[in-house]
Amino acid sequence: MEDSRSTSNADASSTPSGTPGPSAPKAIGSLAKKPSDVTRQGSQRLKFVPTLPSRRKKEEVKQEAPPPTIPNASTDRGRGRGRGRGRGGEGRGAAPRPPPVEMTASGPFAMGPAFASTSARRSAPRSNFTPIVPLGPGNAAALGAGLSGAAGPSLKREKETIASNVLVEKETKSEVDDDYYSDPDEGVEIIDMENVRHMDWMAPESLRKERREKKKKKVIQVKIEDPSSPLGLKKKEEAIDIEEVDLANALDLSESEEEEELEDLIDDFALQGEADQDADVRQERLYFFQFPEPFPTFVPNISSTSPTTMSVDEPSSDSRPRKVSFAADVKPPGPSGDPAGASTGPETEQTKDLPTIDGVIGQLEVYRSGTVKMRLSNGILMDVTGATQPSFLQQAVHLDLQNKRLHVMGEVNKRFVVSPDIDTLLHAMELRDQAEVEAMPIDDTNLIQMD
Amino acid sequence: MDNDELISVLPIHYSNSLSPNVHIHQFPLLSRPLQTPPAAAVSGKRIRARIKPITRRLEIHVPVDPRPEVWNGERSKELGAARQEDDREKNQDVGKMKQMEGEEPRLIEVRMRSELIPQEGAYMLGVVRNGQLHMQPISETHQFRPTLTYLDIMSRKSRRSRGDAGSDEDSDDGPPPDPDEPPPVQTASKKEKKSLEVKEVQVSARRAADDKGNLQGGLSAVRREMLLAIRAEEDEVWQDLDFCDGETAEGHEVFEAVFSRNEEHLECKSDITAFLKGIKGL
Repeated sequence: MEDSRSTSNADASSTPSGTPGPSAPKAIGSLAKKPSDVTRQGSQRLKFVPTLPSRRKKEEVKQEAPPPTIPNASTDRGRGRGRGRGRGGEGRGAAPRPPPVEMTASGPFAMGPAFASTSARRSAPRSNFTPIVPLGPGNAAALGAGLSGAAGPSLKREKETIASNVLVEKETKSEVDDDYYSDPDEGVEIIDMENVRHMDWMAPESLRKERREKKKKKVIQVKIEDPSSPLGLKKKEEAIDIEEVDLANALDLSESEEEEELEDLIDDFALQGEADQDADVRQERLYFFQFPEPFPTFVPNISSTSPTTMSVDEPSSDSRPRKVSFAADVKPPGPSGDPAGASTGPETEQTKDLPTIDGVIGQLEVYRSGTVKMRLSNGILMDVTGATQPSFLQQAVHLDLQNKRLHVMGEVNKRFVVSPDIDTLLHAMELRDQAEVEAMPIDDTNLIQMD
Repeated sequence: MDNDELISVLPIHYSNSLSPNVHIHQFPLLSRPLQTPPAAAVSGKRIRARIKPITRRLEIHVPVDPRPEVWNGERSKELGAARQEDDREKNQDVGKMKQMEGEEPRLIEVRMRSELIPQEGAYMLGVVRNGQLHMQPISETHQFRPTLTYLDIMSRKSRRSRGDAGSDEDSDDGPPPDPDEPPPVQTASKKEKKSLEVKEVQVSARRAADDKGNLQGGLSAVRREMLLAIRAEEDEVWQDLDFCDGETAEGHEVFEAVFSRNEEHLECKSDITAFLKGIKGL
């Protein structure tokens, strides 16, 4: 008892040590706070009250003694107060280590990954029926992550239609990477979240985990143009980050993106000789290019008064699609020796202003550094860069109103943005300005020419 | 850039033979190819499409997977009935829908409705073949999202069932609910439980709002325009289209049309400076 009193202000109070209460029992006790009742910080000092035997059980953890009787109370009191000194008496009776708490899992994430596919059939949370897993202290957070020992609901095995004909980002993991789970018991099926996609045709997409160390080995099946075409063949040996970026909804501005673009185009270029192409399945991939307005107008070499203000967006005849299939028979526009310059030629029977433009407009240059440039005629140089790749489906379609058909030409694999090469552009502007200056007649001698 | 080695050169072919019919369709909420679920394909359902050519609105109907593990048949009956009613109201009945006699209409397909997205710049579709890049211009970009307008019918039905079904309410549903005036709908839902009189209040409140709109002049003109546009669209008749997947013969033919036939070099009439000059306001 003495030790607890040692911190009290040994001020005017002449309180006999060890005796809490008013110093001098007068007729009416003073209500003022006695110094003995107040700790050095000024908070109210808790008075020690003998504990009831039942509450002492918590101290059993530390003490092996049975519920102490009153004679033992002094020692406990001392101990309790000793502990309580540092915590303002609060610690009395509390075990320093939390007793094992029985935790039960509940809620939507209770079952861990196994529950992911059965959201439609969710009934009462099964945690009520599963045996309560006693968790060690501090492991409560690992309930969802670790499947060891946790019993999940037994799933009826869904129809195992492997969804091979969908946008599947497959990963080839080495054996080491596979997560090992404990053996299922009680008819429980353990399903890896990453493989949820394969469970059923309607199963949701599983988010892919970032596996940085395995980047190079990853095989990603890029959005397949046609369901049955195994385009993954082309990408087997390459490391590609783009699809990963898509799913992570992040804009990856790393240089690797350009390299992949380069590889992309080189890929297609290199595979031109591939002979084993199924007739029904189109192996070519569709790319989307975004040009700045206005798209340069192109006319055949021998041009007369063909419309020059033609831009891409003007409509042409609806019957074009049918005509194109006969293009081989029809005289191509503007052949070398044709003086008439009838770029419209025999193709337009209707009175249309828009001729069919068909021909080579330039070339696409791919450099080792990864830059891709488009060199169009008339000195137009454009940079081609990869655009933000959307993670959703994009289809290129052809609408045939004549035949009332909507043809799906395929899925757009990649998007590119084409912008003018700045150096060339500025140079051209400079030249143009100079030309204008020279062309401008100086008729006023008062004009000061600035150089 | 000096040590930048040129790896390959692909000539670029450009052809606008297929324009203006080349479109890009985007499905922002979808990440897998658009196809009939195998379970539905077994029963002969396939993807259908229809278009309103003047308003440039497309709809693509994708059949759903009707397996009991992933589809609630009971609910589909309710929703199917609601959709049928919605169709009738908005004059977009799918006339070809065959129903078994005596059976309630079910929801059998997801309807994706298109929105025309303005294009920034000129869009081109490029295909590489034989070491050449062939380009075709893209005229329109559409984004498709599922339409759930039948849910409005359902909520209306449930509200109706609480109070007395009156013909007044049908007439109220003519113009679409005004975004600036949410209160009428809410107060109706609150007060419907009480009595029939409340509905009359609702009607008058709307009329008052219309009067207010008229007084303001310009605001109501815009709104009226919008309403007219919506009306005009609803009045236009759908034209059915065959939805041809990539593997059909016609599709193949069209795809081949993308590639230009001409090897000749075209001359360019515009200059690179046109890009800068073409920027409006600069």
